[in-house]
Order: sequence, then C-alpha cells, then structure tokens
Amino acid sequence: MYLWKAWHDCRARVMLYILVALSIGVLCGLDIITGANYNTIWMALPRLHRFVRSYDFSMDITFNALHWVVAGWSLSGAFISGAAFNWEVGGYGITLALLSGLILGSTGVGREYGADTMSFVLTRPSARRNFILTDWLVGLTAMVIILSGLVLPLLPFLAAVHAKGPGNILAALPALWVLGAAIYGLSHFTTLVTGSASKGMVLSVATYLTYFFLPTALHEWWHSDALLRAAEWTLAPFKRGAWPLSAFDWGATAFWLALAAGFLAASLAWIKFREV
Amino acid sequence: MNDLAIHTQGLAKYFGKTRAVDSLDLKVPRGAVYGFLGRNGAGKTTTVRTLLGLLHPSGGSAEVLGFDIGRDLIAILERTGFVPENKTLFSGITPAQLVHFNQGYFPKWSSELVARYAELFEIPMQTPFAKLSLGNKTKVCHLLALCQGADLLILDEPSIGLDPVITDLLLRVLVEDHVSEGKTVFLSSHQLAEVERIADWVGIIEKGKILLETRLEDIRQNYRLIRAAGDAAPTISSPDLIAVQSSENFRSYLVTREAEDFAAMLRAKGMTILEILPVSLEEVFLGLTRKEVPCISGKPGTIAAPA
Repeated sequence: MYLWKAWHDCRARVMLYILVALSIGVLCGLDIITGANYNTIWMALPRLHRFVRSYDFSMDITFNALHWVVAGWSLSGAFISGAAFNWEVGGYGITLALLSGLILGSTGVGREYGADTMSFVLTRPSARRNFILTDWLVGLTAMVIILSGLVLPLLPFLAAVHAKGPGNILAALPALWVLGAAIYGLSHFTTLVTGSASKGMVLSVATYLTYFFLPTALHEWWHSDALLRAAEWTLAPFKRGAWPLSAFDWGATAFWLALAAGFLAASLAWIKFREV
Repeated sequence: MNDLAIHTQGLAKYFGKTRAVDSLDLKVPRGAVYGFLGRNGAGKTTTVRTLLGLLHPSGGSAEVLGFDIGRDLIAILERTGFVPENKTLFSGITPAQLVHFNQGYFPKWSSELVARYAELFEIPMQTPFAKLSLGNKTKVCHLLALCQGADLLILDEPSIGLDPVITDLLLRVLVEDHVSEGKTVFLSSHQLAEVERIADWVGIIEKGKILLETRLEDIRQNYRLIRAAGDAAPTISSPDLIAVQSSENFRSYLVTREAEDFAAMLRAKGMTILEILPVSLEEVFLGLTRKEVPCISGKPGTIAAPA
C-alpha cells in the first residue's frame, strides 16, 4: 500500500543520511576528545587518547575544513550567533535537519502531481488524508533516526570526557527532532502546492532564507531587532555553547512543534480540496 | 439496488468561464458496455475525472454504482477499476511491485487473474515502468484495473499504444471475463470501431452536453442515411432527423427511425430520393459532431445538426 511506496521512494536517501549522521556524530565525538582536557582523557581512555593523538594534525585540518563548509552553507550561523564556524553539534544538527528535511519532504505525495501519477494515487480507495499521514509517518520516523544518529555516537565520547555523564544532550534531542519535523513539513507542503519536488525545494529554500535574512535585514536597515530576537529565541537550542550540554528548551521546542503541526494541517487541507 | 451503474443529472464542471461539462445527463445500465464518445475537448475525460472524485463538480448530481460521488467516494473507488488516459504510473517501480502496491487496496483482488493476464498480454513484470513501451504501459494499467474485482471498469482511451492483436485480446477479455459476470464497462474512446464491436450503448458528448444516448442495436436497426437530390432546400422539422449534410444540389439526412416516411416527406417537397442506407456508428458520430468546413473546390459544404 502507500506506506510501502513512501518508504520505497525515500529509503536510499534515508540510508545515506543515517550514514552521514553517524559519521558526523563520530567525528564530532573525536573532536570533543581532541579538544578536551588531556589529563582527564588520559585517565579515562588512554588507548583512545593515543589513537587520537597520532591523528591529531590531520584531525585539526579535517574539522577546520568541515566547520568552514558548514559555516558557509548554514547562513543561520552567521546571522544568529556571529560565530558560525564553531557550532559543534548544534551547527551540524541544524544543517543535517535542514538537508534531510528538505530532501525527504520533497519525496512526498505532492510530487505525484508533477509525475502525472496523482490520478492513479487518488483513485485508490483511501481517504486523501491517509496519503499525507503516511508520508509524515515515514518522513518523521526517518528524521528522528537520522538526527538521533548524529547525537547518539557522541554519548560514549561525552561519557569519557564529562564525569557527570551525557544526560543533557539527550534532553536537547527533541528540539532537534521538532526542528527537523518543521523543515520536513515545509518541504512536504511546498512540494504538494507546487506539484514538483524541485519547485517545492526552491520554495522551501526561499522560505528558509527569508526566515534568516529578514530579521537581520530589518535589524540592519530599520534598526528593528524584534524579529532578530525572536529568530534567535527559536534557534536557542542550537546556538554556540548551547550544545552539546544544553537542557531541554521548552519554548523553542514548542515553537517548532507548532510550526510542524501547522504544515501538516495545511497539507491535509490542500490535498482535500485540490483537483487533479 | 439501482439498475444504473452510472447516473448523472445535470452534472456540470466549469473551469472559469469554460463549461467543460454542462448539464450532463447520463444513464449507464449495469452489466452493459457503454461507449462514451466525443471529439477532443468534448468533455469525456472531465466527466470521468468528476465521477471518480478527481475533480469537484460545479453543479448537478452523480451516482456511481448507487453511491453519491460527493459522499461515498471511497465505496465507489473500491468497486471501480480505472484506466486513465495518460497511462502513467510510478516510473521506478516494476509491474510486479505495482501489483504488490495495488492489491492491498482491493479486498476482491485476484492474484490468479494477475498471472493469467500477465501471460496473456505478455507483460514484462520485472521491468521498471518507465522503461516499458507505451503499449506495455497500457497493458499494465489494464492489468491493475482488471484484477481488482471491480463491478465497474472505467477505461479512458483503453487501446492507446496497443497492437491489433492485444487490442483484440483486451476486447475479448472485457466481454468474456467481465461483462459476462454482470460487470459494467464504460469506454471513453475515439476508436469507434472498437466501441462498435463490443458496446451495447453509446453516448455522444459535444461541448460538455450529451447529444445522443442510445442502444447501438437501435442505431443498426433504425438509423438511416437518406441521400436526396433537388434544387430546393426544403425546411424540414422532425424529431427523427438528427443531422443534415448539404453539398450543391445533394443532401444527406440522418434519421433515427421511420426512414421511409421521412423519404416520402422529402419527395412531397420536390426532392428525389437517391438511396436509403443503414448507417455505421462512425456516420452517426460524424453527422452529430463534425463542423462546417469549406470544400476543397472552395464551395462550402454545409454539415449541421438541425436545431
């Protein structure tokens, strides 16, 4: 049924993103180790420390390059924190949420309009809302796995560095999930509205850029910083210093959750009334 | 149970100021093969899409298999097999996977029929849909519709891309496997020969309105083309006259019944009757729908349905 189709369409991308997330998670963990107190590490994990130290030079180059790539790509960093190239996991998390959310959202049922297969889909005996809900079930499950895949590999590294344990990073995970859900919802909805994965993606990116550029533009040109403060508040869990040891952020999490729910409601309304 | 598979009353679908379907009244009997005919843009596909809930009607009402298209769409879709005009399915998926996708939706799905038709129609079941020829794509669309155990098959341009052998097979399958089981086939097509071969009923639509709805047998037995000659152009009004074609001193009258009586009326008005011929579905269709065109000689020929 449609669950099979939805998974069939996105499974390759999901697998790729899971691999990317796990890789970044492990690399960030190694970065944490290399930047931590050597004496602590020496006491905790002497063999790992020796292994990391032997690759110290190449590791530094690798992470500096990665930071610059992410800083250049993730405009949010430059505008929100002003120190984008040292975001650590928060920066990678927001970037991965953005990439995977945009791509997975664009594989939703909306692209069937552009592929001229929507009449086939909608003449299956199922309520139209079920196609949207199935997409979301698959998409959100994938997002949760991907974004968790970024964080979970950090746990042993954090456990090695911090005596108090890695509990706080898990508390910060839901904020990343709902951010991913909101971006997924945006991409899914714009794909549904435009009837095309590529057009939906362009519209989503335009929305994303507006979200980050507009507050800064208002701040720079009209000295109005209300929107900038609001934008910073919504991204507080992902700011420099907030990760990897942030507590659960109720406000920002609720904001992204509400936004995700809004996009879901919009998609359900759209598919109900749109003609084919 | 309603004895009509499809029943529309004043069904309308407007796109802005364009009236794609305009006060359409259709009565498709259960267990019949109904040929739904019309020129390009006449409103055939819009009608079909409205009946299946893909378009929202602008007015009127419609029932499919006794279910209202606005309230009971899921019940209609469970019982209706649909072959769309465009023959486009998921491109990266094989016919075997499409069968897997589709069967979960239909409680009466028949895996035996899948095996039978896949072999009969020579469908490459493991080739991605996008790599199939147009003919094979059409076959896959038919396979999915024929195997779902539908009470009604709505086939929009069913023979696009099919070779004559497969077309012949398909028509036989429709009649022998489905109509013989009491199921209804609604054929929307330009292929008049195919419709004429298997249809019991025909409906001809033009500019969103139904021009003619009748039994095909009625056309064969009663409809006649009367060719007449004469200088006069008599004004004739008769409910049996459905089209007149004029060319210089010759006229052709398409009448629905009582051709001899009509010929006598023409003789009384000074016309000479040249011949009275039985008509084909194509002649009826052309008589009702063709437009006035200048002759190659430059002299206009008048072809029109009477007001």
